[in-house]
Amino acid sequence: MSLALLRYTIRKNGLLLVIFYAVLAFYLAVMISMYNPEDMAEITGMLDLFPEDLMQAMGFSQQVSDLTGYLASWLYGLLMLAFPMVYCIILSQRLVVRKVDSGSMAYLLATPNSRIRIIVTLGAYALLSVGLLFMLLFGTGVALAEAIHPGQLATKQFLHLNITTMLVNQLVIMIGFFFSCLFNDASRAGGFSAGLPIAFLLLNMLGGVSEDYQWLKRLSPYGWFDPLEQIQGEMPWTVNLVYASGAAVLFGAAIFVFKRRQLPI
Amino acid sequence: MIESHGLTLTYPGGKGVFELDFVIEDGKTTGYLGPNGAGKTTTIRALLGFMKPDRGRAAIDGLDCFADAPRIQRRLGTIPGEISFPEKMSGREFLRFMNDMRGERGKREAELLALFDLDPSGRIAKFSKGMKQKLGIVAAFMHDPQVLILDEPTSGLDPLMQSRFVALIRQERDRGKTILMSSHSFEEVDKTCDQVLIIREGRIIHEGSTEMLRRSRTRTYLLQAARPDAAASALTEAGFPARATDNGTIEVPVSGDAVDRFIKTVAALQVVDLNVKHQSLEEHFMRFYQQGGEEGSR
Repeated sequence: MSLALLRYTIRKNGLLLVIFYAVLAFYLAVMISMYNPEDMAEITGMLDLFPEDLMQAMGFSQQVSDLTGYLASWLYGLLMLAFPMVYCIILSQRLVVRKVDSGSMAYLLATPNSRIRIIVTLGAYALLSVGLLFMLLFGTGVALAEAIHPGQLATKQFLHLNITTMLVNQLVIMIGFFFSCLFNDASRAGGFSAGLPIAFLLLNMLGGVSEDYQWLKRLSPYGWFDPLEQIQGEMPWTVNLVYASGAAVLFGAAIFVFKRRQLPI
Repeated sequence: MIESHGLTLTYPGGKGVFELDFVIEDGKTTGYLGPNGAGKTTTIRALLGFMKPDRGRAAIDGLDCFADAPRIQRRLGTIPGEISFPEKMSGREFLRFMNDMRGERGKREAELLALFDLDPSGRIAKFSKGMKQKLGIVAAFMHDPQVLILDEPTSGLDPLMQSRFVALIRQERDRGKTILMSSHSFEEVDKTCDQVLIIREGRIIHEGSTEMLRRSRTRTYLLQAARPDAAASALTEAGFPARATDNGTIEVPVSGDAVDRFIKTVAALQVVDLNVKHQSLEEHFMRFYQQGGEEGSR
């Protein structure tokens, strides 16, 4: 880990994190302020007007009435996956392949820092920034709920939900990071880094359409947990562990390939 | 000491460098000459540890260039051939960043900025080509490294700054630095280097002192004489392969050791105009290139 490089990376990419946090926090605020326990029945009734398949594909479930379930269903079913996914794609490309493609990686390597050290630092920033994003969103959600609907949010369950969502996003950013370390060419890396997560998200949505296609969800890391189940029981250790180890394996693979790579810079 | 032993590094297209053998002793300045695409930058990528040789090895001060790159970088300064700075930085930020990454203060930073008359406060994206090159030079020299590997360091500099750069290289040479400097300008290498490596199509075709190279290089003179036919035959008789062009000018290639004889031959003619043809590096060193070609085809 190079502190100098970490400081530089924070300075150059911090704004991106702030923007995504601001957008998501705004959504969180709007959703929480729109919540009204008495209206839930009405909303559910209104939703019956829409095709059920469409609603399920969007990850919206209709049988929830408490605030935590409402957020899990309406926000964490799709938005909290799709928006951070865009963040993950952009950041993973910025961190490595764009520097290799432009040649500025030469300056990082023209210092007494090993390739491993540089990639560990950049990858750590990727993981930490996604972590920070969800911890901030968790804190913001708790604070907003407390201000608008005191006592209605099940904090512990909401934390579980944020942890699992954070971990799946860390897995996604490591997918992008791995391809960012593997290729010299920004457009090729971008294709894989964006294509795979987008395909996963689509599979997850298709898998939600009907019982018959539910197996599609199994193919996508996004489908390995159900936000609504997260808020009912204990911490889902198994799926959390799967995401964390997947991210760790990809991080390790990224370091491995980058250390041995030919860099035409 | 910079060494390369049987260094071979090929790209998927089949280009690359092959069986490079050279040693640059401590305190020596070596010019690395060759036309575009000959393999200069590829050699430098191997020396900087960016690319791993397919065969052979490159070492600096006994350390393997690929495996020990971070340790080598501690004592190395480099200017990349195509400079690309980290994005969205001011020149000053960049220099501070390089100091931070190296974990040391660039003790010559202020001196070098003054020498090259560079104000690093603006954004690098707005810098001209020459300013970027100056910034690259400052970043390469500011921590006073013992070994310098420079890829076409004067490209984009105006003549005044080129001469300041030449003075800087001479100063560093006198301070005992080991320098490898690629170039396609013979003049620049002539002014700064003790020895020269010439590369062509990925193979080193000449290794020797700058002095020797100066004697063996070929210049083409453009002669206009009052009686072109007589002039051409006089030159041919004297052993120069003179060739009359369509516009009445006679082109005479003259090697470095025959200049005196050429001038004396020409002195007997009625000369209207005598000029030196502007030549590419390849034409300058035709003899080497031709020899190299023959060796290559053998």
